[in-house]
Amino acid sequence: MSHCELASKPLLQCIRKTYAIGLPTLQQSTRSFRLTAGRRDEAQGQAESTKEPFYRSPDPVLVTSPKLEKRLLKSGISPIGSRRRRAALQNSQNIPFEQLPYQCFQEARKVLLADRKEKLKEIERQRERIAKLRETPAEEAGGERPKQSRLKTFENDLERLKILADVNDPLVKKRFEDGQGDMNKPIYRYLWDKKWREYRRLILVQRITQMKVLPDVLPHCDPVVDVKLYFGGKNIQPGQFVDSRVSVTPPKLTIQPFQRGEKLVTIAVIDSDVPNVDANGFDYKCHFLAINVPISPTNIRVDLSKLSDDSQVILPWLPPVSLKGSPYHRLSLFIMEQRNPQLLEFASVKENEVNRENLLLRDIKSKYNLKPIGAHLFRNKWDDGTTEIMDQIGFQGADVELRRKRVEPLPYKRRNPASFR
Amino acid sequence: MLQPQPGAPLRVLERVFNSFTLSSRQSSRPGCWTKRILATPTSSCISPKSSSLPFLPLSLLRYASHNTQGHANAGGRDSPGKRLGAKKTGEQYVVPGNIIFRQRGTKWFPGENCGMGRDHTIFAKEAGYVKYYLDPERHPKRKYIGVCFERDGRLPTPRHLPTRRRLNMIAVPRQVENSEFLDNKSDDGTIATDSGVLDTRTLIRTNTELSLRPGYFHREANWQIGRAAEKEGIKAPKFNRQNRWLAWRKRTARADRAAQMKSLKNKKKNKGRR
Repeated sequence: MSHCELASKPLLQCIRKTYAIGLPTLQQSTRSFRLTAGRRDEAQGQAESTKEPFYRSPDPVLVTSPKLEKRLLKSGISPIGSRRRRAALQNSQNIPFEQLPYQCFQEARKVLLADRKEKLKEIERQRERIAKLRETPAEEAGGERPKQSRLKTFENDLERLKILADVNDPLVKKRFEDGQGDMNKPIYRYLWDKKWREYRRLILVQRITQMKVLPDVLPHCDPVVDVKLYFGGKNIQPGQFVDSRVSVTPPKLTIQPFQRGEKLVTIAVIDSDVPNVDANGFDYKCHFLAINVPISPTNIRVDLSKLSDDSQVILPWLPPVSLKGSPYHRLSLFIMEQRNPQLLEFASVKENEVNRENLLLRDIKSKYNLKPIGAHLFRNKWDDGTTEIMDQIGFQGADVELRRKRVEPLPYKRRNPASFR
Repeated sequence: MLQPQPGAPLRVLERVFNSFTLSSRQSSRPGCWTKRILATPTSSCISPKSSSLPFLPLSLLRYASHNTQGHANAGGRDSPGKRLGAKKTGEQYVVPGNIIFRQRGTKWFPGENCGMGRDHTIFAKEAGYVKYYLDPERHPKRKYIGVCFERDGRLPTPRHLPTRRRLNMIAVPRQVENSEFLDNKSDDGTIATDSGVLDTRTLIRTNTELSLRPGYFHREANWQIGRAAEKEGIKAPKFNRQNRWLAWRKRTARADRAAQMKSLKNKKKNKGRR
């Protein structure tokens, strides 16, 4: 029995006892609820008795012991909510919201329901307006461009109303927090976007600006999609140092857009810190380039090793390595939306972009009319496994290390002693 | 120092009241107080408010003797100048580490390729030409000192352009470390080399030289001391927390030892008493 179970058990028992014994009048009034709950429990019990025992197939909503949680996680299902909540749910009667015997709560629900009804009506009205405007010819609406702009504002209003209709629903909030939200629905996209912008986007923007990725690789980027990067199944925070043995295999991405519809994107990984000793400066190097990768709110997983070689990958993954003594390498990943023409022609791009060295993302962006919509960053420096990886990839000039150049002081200029008198 | 106190006017008021009551009761001090009381026509019922008001500013005055207290040597505080100010002018060539500006506080801020020391001294981080400039995009009021790579270049560089950096490093052949030697060795503690089989222990021992350590004495480095056991080929058995038998033996041994020490201590004490 876990801690929280131990802690919450006496409390729950106490509540149940007072509920059953101490308040007979209340018991009378709530009998129907209790009956339904009891029936449900019995039904569940019968069903479960025929099924496997709990420890064989633990329920992610109810599991509390760390051992079972670990087993669930290994099988790819994460337990829902906190352990405290799960422990509380084990003994709860699962009364639905409509039947909860709290008057104030029910009154509040009524207000929310009335508001939702009103919003649904407004949505209907807005839809009618849009349909009407679509039907009217452009001459009557005052030209093609004003008509389109009006349509756009109407549609934006409609999206806003859709969000407003559901944003106060406690069940929607619960489902979102449990990770069961359907990303096809605008409300869940809105909630995710809000959560992302509250913390993770701020961190990302801070890292890419403070580490100077933004003027170095691209002049400007306003991230609007949530990008997560995984090496070997482990999430990498923006700007984290990744061991070169870990980054041998191409990473997996989750790219979560918050707009409806499918997009085609270009994915590029650029190293902006390749030391150039002869020129006394730094060069760029492209570690990965793929085009025509489809993403949508529900199709978010992109495995860089599983993209098709003959229609998407232009430059396959090159494991990042850095020379001993060199400053850290920033490897920035950019997700860029393809605007027009949406589908890039693979053969011509592949023909043009053959050279990894000194491939500038600025040039690619302007050449193919791309718009950066997402970014991520990780770093690499010399570590114990670098020599091994350099041997694997046939790195040129692996047997050198970089040392600081000695700074010669300026010649001492003797002052005129007469001026010190 | 005489400092204005927040409760001072109230205290004055209180004092005035006290003196008023005293004088009215005893009339022992024939000061201005009693004169005033006598002057007023209705001496029996004087409101204390009206009488106390004109006396308020009197006790708040600062006389010359107050003001100059403790300032006898005020003229002697003039300390030597600290030689602050610009050490390099605009467009003067500097190398990394050169001090460009000495200041108290941040009159100037470090711009591109410059740093600020702990006393706000601006110094160069790259070789180049000093530029004094304003950067309204970064801060509307701050003045910056930067180092530009070209003499006729301009600072600040535009926001959207990639930062211009120098590597300032040289490539030398990489030295293979000791640890890699150790990684290559076979299980029996020997390394296969061109000349034959070499014992690692002797290799490590010959490699170590006593160097001058902090504290001005020659000794091995801390990491070498830490590997002394490895050098001697001593291996400690790995701790197994499941092994309760060993734990029990150790515990009893420790208890026995403690008991022994205690008895010895008692004996000593007894000896002393005799």
